Amino acid sequence: MRARAAAAAAVLSVLAVPQRAHAMDADVTSDTAAQFYDVRSPTGETILSRRRLTTTLGVGAYNLLDTAPGDLSAPELSFRARVRYDADYGASGGESDPRNYAAVVPGFSPDVVDLMYAYLEGRRFLHGWLGFKLGRQYVTDVLGWWAFDGGEASVTTPYFFKVEAYTGLEERGGMPLSTPRFEADGIWRGDRNGYDPSLYPMFQPATIAPAFGVALESTGVTWIHGRLTYRRVYDTGASNVTEYASGLYAPAMYDGARISTEKLGYSVDADWADHGGAKAGVVYDFYAGEVTSLYGSLDAYLGQKVTVSADYDYYVPVFDADSIWNFFAGEPMNDVGLRTNVDVTDRLSLSGGANLRVFSVQTAPFDPGVGAAYSPYPNYTPAQNLFPTNGHPFDEGVNLSGRYRTGEMTVGLNGSGNWGQEGDRSGADVYVQRVFDTRYVAGVRAGLWQWIDKLQPDRDATSFQYVLTAGYRFAPNAQGTLEWEHDMNRLVGQGFRLLAMLTLAVTK
Amino acid sequence: MKLLRTLLALLPLLVVVAVVPLALADAPAQLHGLAPLPDDQEVPHNLLPPGADDPDRGPSDVIFPQQHITIRFNHSKHLGGMIGATCKTCHALAYTSRSAQDVLLPKGVVCDSCHDTDHRDLSRVKPGDDAMGQCAFCHLGYKPGDGNRVAELEMPRANLLFDHRAHVDRNIGCAQCHGAVDQLELATRDQLPRMRGCFHCHEMSDSASRGQAKSACDACHLPGKSGTLIKTMYASGTLYPPRWLHNAEHTPDFVLRHKWVAADDSQFCSNCHTEDYCTDCHDGRVRPRNVHPNDYLNMHAIEARMATQNCQSCHRDQSFCLDCHLRVGVAESSPPDAKDSGRFHPPKSIWSDPPMKPGHHGFEAERNLNACVSCHTERDCVVCHGALGVGGGFDPHRNGFLGSCSRQFRRNPRPCFVCHEPTDGALAQCR
Repeated sequence: MRARAAAAAAVLSVLAVPQRAHAMDADVTSDTAAQFYDVRSPTGETILSRRRLTTTLGVGAYNLLDTAPGDLSAPELSFRARVRYDADYGASGGESDPRNYAAVVPGFSPDVVDLMYAYLEGRRFLHGWLGFKLGRQYVTDVLGWWAFDGGEASVTTPYFFKVEAYTGLEERGGMPLSTPRFEADGIWRGDRNGYDPSLYPMFQPATIAPAFGVALESTGVTWIHGRLTYRRVYDTGASNVTEYASGLYAPAMYDGARISTEKLGYSVDADWADHGGAKAGVVYDFYAGEVTSLYGSLDAYLGQKVTVSADYDYYVPVFDADSIWNFFAGEPMNDVGLRTNVDVTDRLSLSGGANLRVFSVQTAPFDPGVGAAYSPYPNYTPAQNLFPTNGHPFDEGVNLSGRYRTGEMTVGLNGSGNWGQEGDRSGADVYVQRVFDTRYVAGVRAGLWQWIDKLQPDRDATSFQYVLTAGYRFAPNAQGTLEWEHDMNRLVGQGFRLLAMLTLAVTK
Repeated sequence: MKLLRTLLALLPLLVVVAVVPLALADAPAQLHGLAPLPDDQEVPHNLLPPGADDPDRGPSDVIFPQQHITIRFNHSKHLGGMIGATCKTCHALAYTSRSAQDVLLPKGVVCDSCHDTDHRDLSRVKPGDDAMGQCAFCHLGYKPGDGNRVAELEMPRANLLFDHRAHVDRNIGCAQCHGAVDQLELATRDQLPRMRGCFHCHEMSDSASRGQAKSACDACHLPGKSGTLIKTMYASGTLYPPRWLHNAEHTPDFVLRHKWVAADDSQFCSNCHTEDYCTDCHDGRVRPRNVHPNDYLNMHAIEARMATQNCQSCHRDQSFCLDCHLRVGVAESSPPDAKDSGRFHPPKSIWSDPPMKPGHHGFEAERNLNACVSCHTERDCVVCHGALGVGGGFDPHRNGFLGSCSRQFRRNPRPCFVCHEPTDGALAQCR
């Protein structure tokens, strides 16, 4: 009895203490898009009728510690989250029914709910030294886009660098409230609940993927910035290694923790006042044992209005270490380009460039390794004359963009052309967007594009398209728009797409 | 003839009478204080605020909106030895101001002591007796008949966080931000600070232990409506990063190269953009038309094959692409009920038979393996490329594979077992 009375008193005392009013800021946002269009085959038949609805709901709460406004030394705590519902009401029920063997598409779901992010973020704790994030969050750096559930902590020193460490579980498709968008590519993976274990063995079960990473990053100085970053992700659990379903026996499984991805990257950019700037980055993949990405970009400022740049980009496809694709002879691409931007006036800018994309292919029988004893399988055919003579086929490309903008109107042009052994594509879009009386939104976009398929000549086409947009802006951050798209090409005939969008934001 | 001679004799006298008084008369008074330099000459770069471009384009219109100055004022004259004023004489408020919203222009009463005027009651300002006490002496466009009305001075507040007192307390002189105003006449927008000049000091980490001169954007830029973003939309325009800052000028082709800015310093982007802005494309569900033009559904195969864009920056091959390719019947593992979209690849004689040339699947796979992965599951390739007993035994490995396979086997043996039986002799070389 006394204990109960004491507990009640404690609760009452807590409730009775006057709470300080918080100056918390908050916002609630929502984007909704309804899309209606048909997907047609190159012969014009409708294959899918897509009736899509995507809606997001975001919440944010800031200044949870109620610090004085404008105090840049004070710690700051905030929370942000966004959830998404993505549905295709045009999908047939059979496509997602594991028992419907004639129609099921493993991994496909006609309605998906995912938590895009939800994290508590702290900044400038411990006199500005400590920052942290807890929850589902993104990491964006030279290693690419990535999302995980876990915690990140960073220590910002007064010595122009900060150290960052994070650990958690990689966001993976097939797990609750998750999409596969940010996991490494190469594995067809998802929720196998409801699937017969002996069927669809190539569709792998989703399991948790522990991960950790560290980064060292410069801070403070604005003319140079660099980030050294390392990340390791593990695959866990069972994975089918028998690719053919027998229907009689369960597939053979490989089980155990193993590397999914392990990468080290460094990026840097530097600017030299009126003269120019440079950017560079490199990624080393420990599983592949090679540099898989390397880029560099040099910009020269010619006066106030002209920038001339040279770019280089090297890329080797790599995949989740669970995937067999890493063993295939995917070769690097080298992209070299020149581009320029001219700010003709404060309102009118033009950009253009040209590039060469140089591929790599074998010109001789594969050499598995110097001095190694290797027994090619009987079907291995080493004849020299079976290989191309040019090991570096290349494609050419150009692009031209222009933009004229005032406070209420934007007029633009996006054009590009790409030509290569596999095909050509060239064309341009022109568009005008205008807001009338700060409320009425109107837009027109028209495009003319031609593509030539050099591997399937009957798939060449010229396409003319236009889009008409009308909308109403209820408030600075809230508007509804309706778009009508009409595409015409000889392959599919007339194509239409209706897009309705509603953006809402409430801020406190 | 006689008359002509008389006129010629008097000519010197006429010259003296006509020219000498003109020569002795005062030259027409040149009006000073209408521009930074007389006759609106270009201000030398060394007199401009630190960080000004050369040639200078002035400060940001968005941060410092355009002004309409209706006052004539000569700073160099007032700050010179003859008058001996200092900045503080007229702008004393600047020494204590904590906000860029404060009005730091001197009130008319500051002028009264020298100009013999009386601005104490602005509804009934009394001019002085001499020329420099007249309203029109300072107020441009003023006419005697205008009474007590002068043209309005339009000087919008800066869209900025700025604490003058904090800077004064650190012994930062006026010229360190405003340039050599003491050598100029009228101070205009051109004498307002340049962002690059701020970075002469604001180059410090966010850590509080190093003082307040942080380079963080929110140290100077106004906060957005909510969250941790800075405000970018103003009546005076939209704020974009300058070219010299990470070379992140948002040019018309920025969509093609923003990856390098974000890859190096995504925190820089997050000063103005939330994750939502990025994921609208990178994890989006509505096709962004500035990236993919209309009718893209029909032309995307060519682009993917050519690797014109890095599809993987927004799409995962084995989920986003494969899902749809399975549904539309273009993928090899499509369900039986999926409609037939027709053969995507060239005929077998080109696609599968030797020699390896453009159009052959081996050539295309080496060239751009991602295009294969967007449609095929592992099984499709294992049929032929799996080791004997699993598949057809066509070796797909890269050059020098044996040099790296043991490392790969140690880290993750799973993919090896997809094509090789555990007892396969070839596998032993990688164990």
